[in-house]
Amino acid sequence: MTETITGAVERHAATRPADPALHWQGAEVTYGELAEAMRAAAAGVAGLAPGPVGVCAKKSPQAIAFVLGCLRAGRTVVLPSPTLPAETLTELFERAGAGTVVTAADLEQATTGDHQAEVHSDDNAFMLTTSGSTGVPKLVPLAVGGIERFTGWVHDEFDVGPGRRVLNYSPLNFDLCLFEIWSTLRRGGCVVLVDPEIAADGGALLDLLATTEPHVVQAVPLFYQLVADAADARGAELTLPSVEHVIFTGDAMTPARLPRLRALFPSTRMHNIYGCTETNDSFRYELRDGDEERTALPLGRPLPGVHADLVSDGAILTGPGTGELVVRTPFQSPGYHNSSAGDGAFGDHPVRRDGHRHFRTGDLVRRDEHGELSLAGRADFRVKVRGQQVYLQHVEEVLLGSADVLEAVAIAVPDEHAGKRLHVVVRRRDDSRLNSLVLRKYLAERLPPAAIPSTLSIGVDPLPRTSTGKVDRQHLVLMSEKR
Amino acid sequence: MENKTIITSYLVREFLPDVRTDELESDYDLLAGGVIDSLALLRVVDWITTEFDLSIDDLDLSPDNFRSVDNISALVASAKS
Repeated sequence: MTETITGAVERHAATRPADPALHWQGAEVTYGELAEAMRAAAAGVAGLAPGPVGVCAKKSPQAIAFVLGCLRAGRTVVLPSPTLPAETLTELFERAGAGTVVTAADLEQATTGDHQAEVHSDDNAFMLTTSGSTGVPKLVPLAVGGIERFTGWVHDEFDVGPGRRVLNYSPLNFDLCLFEIWSTLRRGGCVVLVDPEIAADGGALLDLLATTEPHVVQAVPLFYQLVADAADARGAELTLPSVEHVIFTGDAMTPARLPRLRALFPSTRMHNIYGCTETNDSFRYELRDGDEERTALPLGRPLPGVHADLVSDGAILTGPGTGELVVRTPFQSPGYHNSSAGDGAFGDHPVRRDGHRHFRTGDLVRRDEHGELSLAGRADFRVKVRGQQVYLQHVEEVLLGSADVLEAVAIAVPDEHAGKRLHVVVRRRDDSRLNSLVLRKYLAERLPPAAIPSTLSIGVDPLPRTSTGKVDRQHLVLMSEKR
Repeated sequence: MENKTIITSYLVREFLPDVRTDELESDYDLLAGGVIDSLALLRVVDWITTEFDLSIDDLDLSPDNFRSVDNISALVASAKS
């Protein structure tokens, strides 16, 4: 039988009760303590209305113990972003069939009870949400078996077992927690939880890394930038030698920033991991010397058991070219839950028709003449400007290659004369003198004429983000139409 | 006012709202950087004919004549002579 996360926590608590399970705000929670809190929560959960349980709370040891309690009581945990509008949250919980929603304020009461924990089990452990920035997100159920296979891969590749410390930067509702929190607890390591309060404070993040000495760090590129900038500000030649694996995920890492990170993490291997909520991780690339010369990092190889094709114009692309990535992973969701749009991108392979359930990622991937794969952008981010194809992501990569640019987004904006015009929004470094003249010159040296933006907006404020931390493109399109 | 100054302030006002006039060098490549695209070119031509009281027939409209402030200024000078 498949071992569950909660079964594993019990086993760790029985064999190594004093081992740390969580590190939080300078203190440790042992496996013994975590298992006790989990049992108390499970007893409390057994008294709640049957069915999935909604959890709308920020990251904390209590929240994690409560999620474990739900899983132990055989309940599916519905975890949307707590920052979504209240109406959207209500609709999501309703659609998920969650009879009870627990907020941060309820956690205290909800984690105790004397009900006999009911031992039945849902097929699904979690329901996460997609990161669409418009409308109500879709619910993505994740089955117990898929999660167990995923924790196996994480452990084989990175060792998250006893004696190891794994940093968790992402919020509790992010799919990245399947790696950072749930795989680590399943395999017996210690999760170093980043308090959401310090998530944007590079100095505090740097201190946390220096004092807790994690072995595995996975985060979005922005995290590494914050930490590297803070290290630069300290002046001293500070290094973080404990880290054996640095993982970039969730967004494109700018290769020009790699040398700085290699100096900061002198003993690490570096990985670029690609995936999405629906399928979990599907590709990994291990970085090599010289990668800093590239404009973008490649996707690398499919993870063990992952099947991937590039599909273009109804055929499987076997040679060089660009096509939509279609994948099947051992970790993928059984399909969207109770979605009015039906199965969406889940379904039979569009070409092979082999009866296996695949996922059309909507991501365009380019295969070069050496067979190397790299992300060309979202299928819906390929736009025609003045009759020519422009890959928005490529424009963004080039922008981010400038040392004066902190954040950058390229968008196609409807235009009364040109049909569509290319607009870029850039956040420059506070101390830089970047203006549109300088940036246009820089772009002209690196991009074809069609990819030179018609209009540029350069500022020092952070770009607006959606509830899952991605740049809110829709909002920027609306803003630039208003000009 | 010298023609170059007039041309520079027009370009900055119309196409480079975040730039000061002294930041636009007179040899900056306006075409490569996309400051002047094909639509903008029409507006520039229209402005030149009004500002310097020239007929469009006096102007050599090859794109290279609009590549920089220097080139536009030379175009105006040759059309006026």
